[in-house]
Amino acid sequence: MEETLQGIRFFEFLTEEEREEFAEASELVSFGPGENIIEEGADQESLFVLVSGAVEVRKGLPGGRSRLLAEIDASRGRTVVGERGLLGESGASATVMALGEVEAIRIPRDTFRRMVAEGRPAAFKLSYRIARTLARRLTRLDEEVVEAIRELENRGETDMEAFRDRLITDWSV
Amino acid sequence: MRQTPDLSDVPIFEHLDEDERAEFEELSEPVRFEAGQMIFEEGAPEERLYVITSGTVEVYKSVLPGRRQRLATIEAPSVVGEMGLLTEPRAAASVEAITMVEAHGVGRDRLLEMLDADDPAACKLVYEIGRTLAERMAATNETVAEVIFRLENTAGRSEDIDVFRDQLIQDWSF
Repeated sequence: MEETLQGIRFFEFLTEEEREEFAEASELVSFGPGENIIEEGADQESLFVLVSGAVEVRKGLPGGRSRLLAEIDASRGRTVVGERGLLGESGASATVMALGEVEAIRIPRDTFRRMVAEGRPAAFKLSYRIARTLARRLTRLDEEVVEAIRELENRGETDMEAFRDRLITDWSV
Repeated sequence: MRQTPDLSDVPIFEHLDEDERAEFEELSEPVRFEAGQMIFEEGAPEERLYVITSGTVEVYKSVLPGRRQRLATIEAPSVVGEMGLLTEPRAAASVEAITMVEAHGVGRDRLLEMLDADDPAACKLVYEIGRTLAERMAATNETVAEVIFRLENTAGRSEDIDVFRDQLIQDWSF
């Protein structure tokens, strides 16, 4: 387990001792093709670092349909899903499904929160990192939503005012 | 005279112990903003975190030229400037005091130093801020989903929309 964590870029910000703490707190899990790693609407309570395999991310649409949002391959780019669940309480906003065999390291919320309660620096370092990731993404998403609103207004959408008000009610600075 | 709430009444300080709260009180300086005074100006530096202990602020942004869009009205106890702390020290929106506002201001650089040194009080504070951001991300995800579906269903679809959608998805935290 420890060896697995060593090679993962995501854990590079931790010292060797802290990585060991997380090695104890986490478990290696595997999923078969078609298996859900995260399910939209369900309690989302673990962070997963994808070690191998590929997943797809889908969002449900009204009428029981869903649409593909993204495909993530563990061998390149982003490899962490579910980071929000460690800090927050809201259910998952999309479904993450294994496309083939997927191996992942799972950090459960309970274990993580226990580490926080014990005041372990490793847990705080991880939450600092997640908080920064969330803040960066939120800032960009907010800008992009503003862009989208401008775009929709330019196209002469008529009920934009109500839409706009509803969209941006949950802002913080 | 009305009692000014102290830091223990501010939700994100709830889980700090007495000593840790005292550490913050020490670091911070009390500030007062008059009604109508700007706390942050969109696009301008955001180099302090303000813990608002009394009063009300309004957050707005210029979404369309010449029109300011109100985003939120925030009442004490609350915190503003946390996004500047965790990202760039540049305000993404304007924050204006709409009543007299009392706050504790803490310098961003000082807080970042404390975080680098694994200072327990600063770590706990950021953990609590992270929790609020996680909830906010959940709400933002729904917003973004709506924007995407709406853009796709609107007249004049183009490849631009696909590019735009891909960008949005990159920034999503599931």
